Amino acid sequence: MSDIKYLPGKEPHANEHRLIFKNVDREGWDQSIDTYLNDGGYEMLKKGLTMDPKAIIGEVKTSGLRGRGGAGFPTGIKWGFIPPNNTKPVYLICNADESEPGTFKDRYIVHQDPHMLIEGMVISAFAVGAHTAYIYIREEFPEAAIILEKAIAEAREKGFLGQNIQGSGFDLEIYVHRGAAAYICGEETGLIESLEGKRAYPRIKPPYFPAAMGLYMCPTIVNNVESLCHVVHILRMGGEEYVKLGTPRNSGTRILCVSGDVKHPGYFEVQVGKITFRELIYDMCGGPKDGREFKAVIPGGSSSKILRCNESFSIGRGDEAKELSFWDLPLDFDTLAEAGSMAGSGGVIVLDDSRKISWVLNNITHFYAHESCGQCTPCREGSTWMRKISDRILEGNATPDDVKTLEEVAYQIDGKTICAFGEASAWPVEAMIDKYRDELIAETSEENEFKSPEQQEREKFLISS
Amino acid sequence: MNSNIEVPKPRPINRSRVSYRTASIVPTPALIDRARLIYFDQKQSSPKVPRPAPIDRSKLRYHSLGTAVPKPACIDRSKLRYRSLGVVVPKPALIDRSKLHYLCSAGVIPKPCPIDRSKVEYSEPQLTALERNIHSPITPGAVNFPCFEITPELEAKADQRIAQYPADQTRSAVLPLLHEVQHHFGFISPESIDWVANKLNLEPMKVVEVVTFYPGFRQKAPGKLHVRVCRTLSCAMGGSYELMDKLCEITKIDRSQEDGHKDTISVSPCGNFSVEYAECLASCGTAPVCLVNDDFHEGITADKAQALLDSYQNA
Ligand SMILES: Cc1cc2nc3c(=O)[nH]c(=O)nc-3n(C[C@H](O)[C@H](O)[C@H](O)COP(=O)(O)O)c2cc1C
Ligand code: SF4
Ligand code: FES
Repeated sequence: MSDIKYLPGKEPHANEHRLIFKNVDREGWDQSIDTYLNDGGYEMLKKGLTMDPKAIIGEVKTSGLRGRGGAGFPTGIKWGFIPPNNTKPVYLICNADESEPGTFKDRYIVHQDPHMLIEGMVISAFAVGAHTAYIYIREEFPEAAIILEKAIAEAREKGFLGQNIQGSGFDLEIYVHRGAAAYICGEETGLIESLEGKRAYPRIKPPYFPAAMGLYMCPTIVNNVESLCHVVHILRMGGEEYVKLGTPRNSGTRILCVSGDVKHPGYFEVQVGKITFRELIYDMCGGPKDGREFKAVIPGGSSSKILRCNESFSIGRGDEAKELSFWDLPLDFDTLAEAGSMAGSGGVIVLDDSRKISWVLNNITHFYAHESCGQCTPCREGSTWMRKISDRILEGNATPDDVKTLEEVAYQIDGKTICAFGEASAWPVEAMIDKYRDELIAETSEENEFKSPEQQEREKFLISS
Repeated sequence: MNSNIEVPKPRPINRSRVSYRTASIVPTPALIDRARLIYFDQKQSSPKVPRPAPIDRSKLRYHSLGTAVPKPACIDRSKLRYRSLGVVVPKPALIDRSKLHYLCSAGVIPKPCPIDRSKVEYSEPQLTALERNIHSPITPGAVNFPCFEITPELEAKADQRIAQYPADQTRSAVLPLLHEVQHHFGFISPESIDWVANKLNLEPMKVVEVVTFYPGFRQKAPGKLHVRVCRTLSCAMGGSYELMDKLCEITKIDRSQEDGHKDTISVSPCGNFSVEYAECLASCGTAPVCLVNDDFHEGITADKAQALLDSYQNA
């Protein structure tokens, strides 16, 4: 792979290990199938179709691949959840609704390398026995929808899709389904409802686990774009080899998207857990902007809990426990979970000391108040309350009690809702209050306390006497 | 009739004790000799008739409205005789309304003066909650788009989309069809909702609920250039609020009416531009970003706003 040249100014950093983003920003690369075939594309599809579907699932299980959509659930195990005596059609859905604030990895795959996604989807569909697959793509990627439809047509023409693919007797059709700018369509059951032509109201689990009762009440596998692309590489390298990338239980590579207050924001494909925050933010992103210092980092999309840059964490259990400062934390699923946050979708948002936490909190609560689907009361009302209280804090009209109220509201959403949006909206608020309580309270004032006219009169009297 | 079943005789009322109250004193009615009354059992005495057979509507002949009947001649009211209780009375004289005094509890009030309709301001019609959901207010941007019309091309596109889903699951095509409508006609009008519902054999409500749920469907015409600026965290840090202000300044858009949730689009008076805030457009690393119609632009700080709009001058 050393002969791959990248566009000037877009070369990968030395710490990167590019599999999925191999062709992103590559010199002389385009989205046509010929380019992809010249680079050895669709070979894994041919190999996969000669294998036993169970063997493919086995390879994916061995590889330890964890979903890259946010929850980090092992993909091979998810595929195994399809009921064995199932007689209904099985569907595969590619979740290309990338809308978690801070995440921008799927964008580059669907815009620049659509055939890798299609190849991954054909292999995955074959493994789970699906004959119809949908790519649910967010409405804000109109160009990508066209690119994907063109790529699907090309692949069909060359016999990589349609009836009897490559003479294997396996049929598969892939369709593109565009969403309509709703964040909640990223949640897998909400996505399924939306694909059925309804409001994207997530379904309650149990019983509506997609693998058993998904699209049209048939078994359905929903996977993120990046997860599906990894399948191609797992087949090429073999599960045994793939698992050597990254760290134990956190295998493979993943794309980290850094945005916010760093010199060079961008995307980096690294081995999971081999990179610490220091390496990522100082070495790969060029450190803070001139004259600034780092304040906090949101490590896995805006739904994850914020981490302060001067914190330290105790990681590991028993004898293996060690004290790590924030900068030495490796970015993998388990470490970040132990640090009280999550690796989520890989969107790292960096804040420097010029940012007021009340302002950040306000921006995030506006996002969640706008995007709640409105199905469960704690989430619908709570997200609006949090927005209103944070508005007050930002405008300087809040009282110290408001911070407490805000925290209480957040804890009343968390864990009491149909889908994980509840946690997604409450966690950032809980964490910001927990870690920056003093800063928030400093922006409030006792004087803003609401006083009835009677109370005002009474106080006048008290003071004058 | 042998239906005269005996029922217990009610206790006689001692009418001498009854006092009758009416406006004028009337003599107490003569006592009824109840001993002579025969009470009927209500149930048995009412004759049973068979339930009418249902009408076989398929055999009914309906008269087509098309057959012409002569228009009735105008009635010459001057020749009419008004009959009350069979007696012919003269036609009432016309009331001279100028001489009327209007009464109200307060006494005589002056006659109301006529309304000068030229000075009346008409507001948006009063709509019910349901009507408000499908209503499309007219914006200056409406000139940019054709009126909704069912064309063969639209039907063909729709059929192609519907074919993507299992034959018994055509409801799935609601979003794709709405996208087709919005793409061609700029926004989702009430007529287009009916068309989609008809096409997919759904109640229109099922389409309305989709239109009102997704921020991606708009119900009023945007400008020729519709700019969606990302307002989420990374872009806000990169200066997207300033970008929005700058865009509004250049295009003279007033965003004060915008309500952030239901009606998010603001259109310039000339109808060429409209702006809206969008949530994270998944390119946070190149903040601030925006979409102009279907084109994505990255790194658009406020100072590049003018150049961005200029680049569309020929469009
Ligand atoms: C509120 C919410 C939003 C989500 N948004 C996305 C998204 O934008 N993209 C995505 O791939 N997964 C998203 N997910 C995760 C999906 O529900 C699902 O876990 C994922 O698509 C599974 O794919 P994976 O196993 O490949 O990660 C979201 C989940 C929640 C609760
Ligand atoms: S938690 Fe929120 S987003 Fe999820 S189903 Fe309930 S109301 Fe909808
Ligand atoms: S925050 Fe603007 S693109 Fe993500």
